[in-house]
Amino acid sequence: MKVPMKWLKEYVDIDVSAEAYASKMVMTGTAVEGVDKTGAQFDKVVVGKVVSCVDHPNSDHLHICMVDVGEAEPIQIVCGAPNVHAGMRVAAALDGAHLPGGKIKKGKMRGEVSMGMLCSGPELDVPAGLYPHIGDEGIIEIFEDVAPGTDVKAVFGLGDDIIDFEILANRPDCLSVWGLARESSAVLEKHFVMPEIAVEEKGQGAFDDYAKVEVLDDVTCPRYCARVITNVKIGPSPKWMREYLYGAGVRPINNIVDITNFVMLETGHPMHAFDLSKVKDQTIVVRRAKPGEKLTTLDGKEHVLDESMLVIADKENATGLAGIMGGEESEIVDDTASVLFECAAFERANNRVTARKLGIRTESSGRFEKGVCPDTAMEALNRACMLVNMLECGDVVPGAYDNYPHPMEHREIEASVKRVCRRIGVDVPGEVMEDILNRLYIDTTLVGDDTLHCVIPAFRQDMETEADVSEEVLRMYGYDHIPSTLMNAVTMPGYRNEKLVFNDRVKDALVGMGLFEVLNYSFISPKWIEKLNLADDDPRRSAVVLRNPLGEDTSVMRTSLVPSMLNTVAANLNRGNADGKLFELSKTFTPAEKDGELPAEHNALCVAAFGEGVDFYTVKNIVTWLLAKFGVTAAIAAEGDAYYHPGRKARMRVDGQCIAALGEIHPDVAEAFDISGRRVYVAEIDLDALRPLEKDFYGVKPLPKFPAVSRDIAVVVDEAVGAGAMMDAIARAAAKTLEDVKLFDIYRGDKLGAGRKSVAYAITLRAPDRTLTDEEINATMEKVLKALNQQFGAELRA
Amino acid sequence: MEKMLREIRERVMQNIEEAKGSQNLEQIRVAILGKKGELTGLLRGMGKLPPEERPKMGQMVNEVRAAIEEKMEARLAELLEREKAARLQAEAIDVTLPGPERGAGSLHPMNIALEKMINIFVGMGYEAVEGPEVEFDHYNFELLNIPKNHPARDAQDTFYVDDNIVLRTHTSPVQARIMTTRKPPIRVICPGRVYRADEADATHSPVFHQMEGLVIDENITMGDLKGTLDEFARQMFGEGIKTRFRPSFFPFTEPSAEVDLTCANCKGKGVLPLAKLSPAEPGMATSQIKDLGRATSGCRMCKGTGWIEVLGAGMVNPKVLEMCGIDSTKYSGFAFGMGVERMALLKYNIPNLRYLYENDLRFLTQYR
Repeated sequence: MKVPMKWLKEYVDIDVSAEAYASKMVMTGTAVEGVDKTGAQFDKVVVGKVVSCVDHPNSDHLHICMVDVGEAEPIQIVCGAPNVHAGMRVAAALDGAHLPGGKIKKGKMRGEVSMGMLCSGPELDVPAGLYPHIGDEGIIEIFEDVAPGTDVKAVFGLGDDIIDFEILANRPDCLSVWGLARESSAVLEKHFVMPEIAVEEKGQGAFDDYAKVEVLDDVTCPRYCARVITNVKIGPSPKWMREYLYGAGVRPINNIVDITNFVMLETGHPMHAFDLSKVKDQTIVVRRAKPGEKLTTLDGKEHVLDESMLVIADKENATGLAGIMGGEESEIVDDTASVLFECAAFERANNRVTARKLGIRTESSGRFEKGVCPDTAMEALNRACMLVNMLECGDVVPGAYDNYPHPMEHREIEASVKRVCRRIGVDVPGEVMEDILNRLYIDTTLVGDDTLHCVIPAFRQDMETEADVSEEVLRMYGYDHIPSTLMNAVTMPGYRNEKLVFNDRVKDALVGMGLFEVLNYSFISPKWIEKLNLADDDPRRSAVVLRNPLGEDTSVMRTSLVPSMLNTVAANLNRGNADGKLFELSKTFTPAEKDGELPAEHNALCVAAFGEGVDFYTVKNIVTWLLAKFGVTAAIAAEGDAYYHPGRKARMRVDGQCIAALGEIHPDVAEAFDISGRRVYVAEIDLDALRPLEKDFYGVKPLPKFPAVSRDIAVVVDEAVGAGAMMDAIARAAAKTLEDVKLFDIYRGDKLGAGRKSVAYAITLRAPDRTLTDEEINATMEKVLKALNQQFGAELRA
Repeated sequence: MEKMLREIRERVMQNIEEAKGSQNLEQIRVAILGKKGELTGLLRGMGKLPPEERPKMGQMVNEVRAAIEEKMEARLAELLEREKAARLQAEAIDVTLPGPERGAGSLHPMNIALEKMINIFVGMGYEAVEGPEVEFDHYNFELLNIPKNHPARDAQDTFYVDDNIVLRTHTSPVQARIMTTRKPPIRVICPGRVYRADEADATHSPVFHQMEGLVIDENITMGDLKGTLDEFARQMFGEGIKTRFRPSFFPFTEPSAEVDLTCANCKGKGVLPLAKLSPAEPGMATSQIKDLGRATSGCRMCKGTGWIEVLGAGMVNPKVLEMCGIDSTKYSGFAFGMGVERMALLKYNIPNLRYLYENDLRFLTQYR
């Protein structure tokens, strides 16, 4: 909320600079976004008097003006505005002036010297309404008799300090000049002086002679106050009011509308002004909408309402959304002659729900949903009438309508001085607490030496418990008094839970293998899942859908880490990062099976490798080594999802359970992710499946005492036979004495015939308790060959 | 005979002296002392001498042999030493050549910061726990004293799955889960992903990470909160970094505080000695000019204030304790929540939050 300092100073004596004041407010709990000055968007613009004005010889629209800017001699300024004429007072930007559109420099325009620029309202970024003629065509004309050379900011009422307060949800009372002045008075230990509110009732008759109000729902409308003004003369409001409104960020419009805005800003009560002659039967009904009832609001939009919504209506139709936006018919216009001022309180949750449902947010609705105190509604309404008196823009009719059937009760809190001190960790004497709370208009008495009896004023609905009292005491006493202590409590062991430890180890292993961790959003586009060409019934096609995503690209929770990983790879390739090994450890989400339950969250890992020197075996090794780190070995088989290359994909299983899938991304899928002509290898590891498989202790074999022997064998098999599968068969056949088996050569050649290959292994055998004899070794090797022959049709290579 | 021996001795001694290397020396040895060597031949031929001459001759030959062996041994040592020196010299390499490419990758800088944060609190006796990212409204808001249709919800733009399920907007629901399932004393931190419906820009991301801390015990004070965060600040950012508490409002804590840290860039002075003054350019928005004014008068990181806002904290609201089934007359506690990305940005001087989610290897490889 933006507040001009001048306005605040009407009610509290602030005797420090705007910056020092802002800092004090911040340190006592009223946040400040910034301190600004009105008119900061331009400088070096002064009042000028056009001494002479002749047509430019080389132009059909430019004028050459001599302008008195308060210097010894008038200066020449070329001006293109149609309304410039001799004798006119203007806003002249001098050489070097900064305007919102740029810097003004002297120069020549079509051969004629121009020492500055005569300005229009938009060129200074000041709105129509701030000064009477700003909105007119052409340059601004200043009608007041102001000496040339005077800074125009003084003429427009600019240059005041504006404090931009950020009012938090617990203090709606500070969404007003009076509320902030009251808070400031407590902070600065000054008096808060409210104006005396006295209304002169010059109008004829009484309220009831002009209008009738019926409140049919006093739960959602706990208070409704209204008064009538007759003989209304619509016109501009005075300069001081325009200046305050502009400073607070509100565009001045006309005296009646300005008064409602002024009162809203000053008291915190949103008001509404009806053109009474346009209210049907001069009757206002406050009621819930009928189901399906239609209403066109001031902004020209039609809304369909439901029964939860509170409306302002005439006898038949809804004319406005209570506390949110008025209707078109009764808008104040230039010839409005009689006005009904409404100042009401509407229930905040209801107001908020209605505003959300209809997608409307106004200054008024924002205030009602934060909470407007009904107690002071009449006071605010009378303040508006008092301003009508002051501005002489109408006659206030005697009497008012006021429906307030359940006045607020003042809450009382008992607080213990000792407990407050213990909570805040600072010893504040009871008397000091009492004084602080009274300064905050919380009527407090210290009973005995430990009990604070606090009566909470109506505007402090946030104060509910002793904890709230402790905060009030501490923030006024000063947060800088909080000591820095370490708790005096039982010692507790510090540790990470098992899953965090496990994940850390996974990440450390991958980092050690040269991979870089990436972070992607947890929500993705459903189109990205489409691109994976999953089967129609693949569970990954059904994702948790967000009701209000930022956009389609971030609208479903990911069921796989692969799409975001492929996007990451594509982005890196696009930026010229030709090689990379990446991983992401994050969650995937599966919709709940039953309504009302949370989705399942899975601990997932995705690895990708691309670029030079990288192939299927790069990711296979990464997975194998990672599993090895947890003492897990898995069987690999050529199978997998359709988004992998049909001949370069695999799943790894432990006891039949799949714990990893890996392969080269299918070229069609790669293309769909804007990775064309490059090979990307991906592995997905199910960490939830891996974690329970971890072997904590792998066992130790005694070191060998007897020598090992090595034998090489080469066998010829069909191309389709897996070299790894044969290795497993060798291991099984030679299990008794096998120490190691390594593949050392694969050969294909004409001699072997098409579709055949020779695979060579080095086999190391050793017995723990003796030196192996040749007979034993030969027997083992024969067993191996037999196994290879039986299982794979392998023949010993000649 | 004697003359012959003398000649042999002189010649061999000369040869040894002139030997070009250990192999050459060996050839010389074989030629004179080998099975078919000259001296061996002489000894063998002694049988032809008269017996009375034999001892004298034998002695003479042995003397020559001993002298040659001695000389040879000395020379061999010398040659071997020289050869070793030559070999070592030949083996010299260019140590300035770069080694093979470094093998290690790295954690993401966000996680580097998070790991450090977790370590600090684990060291202070906290247990690190996790909770679901898709969370019930009940835990995310209601148990934290943020009822439905309360304006405090506006501070956290929320993604909804349905009326009762949200993407958690903070890690605080883990607090609520812990409090409803455990008994004090409680001392936990809850790191994890959180979500807010903010468009991504230099300081916002719809997905980011927080770390929540919660302590519930008897006699916990706001001073303990300050002491804990002071210790965290010191370990995370170094000696001399302190906290400043400013009053604030969070529905689940009372009193509440926004916590600033001493700006590590200007050491809290608010000004940098070599701050460059750049004048306002025409056409700049008012806010830009305002920022410029601040930056030119001092440190850009803290906008000249000497402090950087980093986290929110406070004493757990007794209403929250009661809602979670903890006796608020017996127990009190504090809670804090900090943005991990913010910490990473400050700690590693990262100029823009977007860097963290772009995953550009040119950025990531700087952290290995």
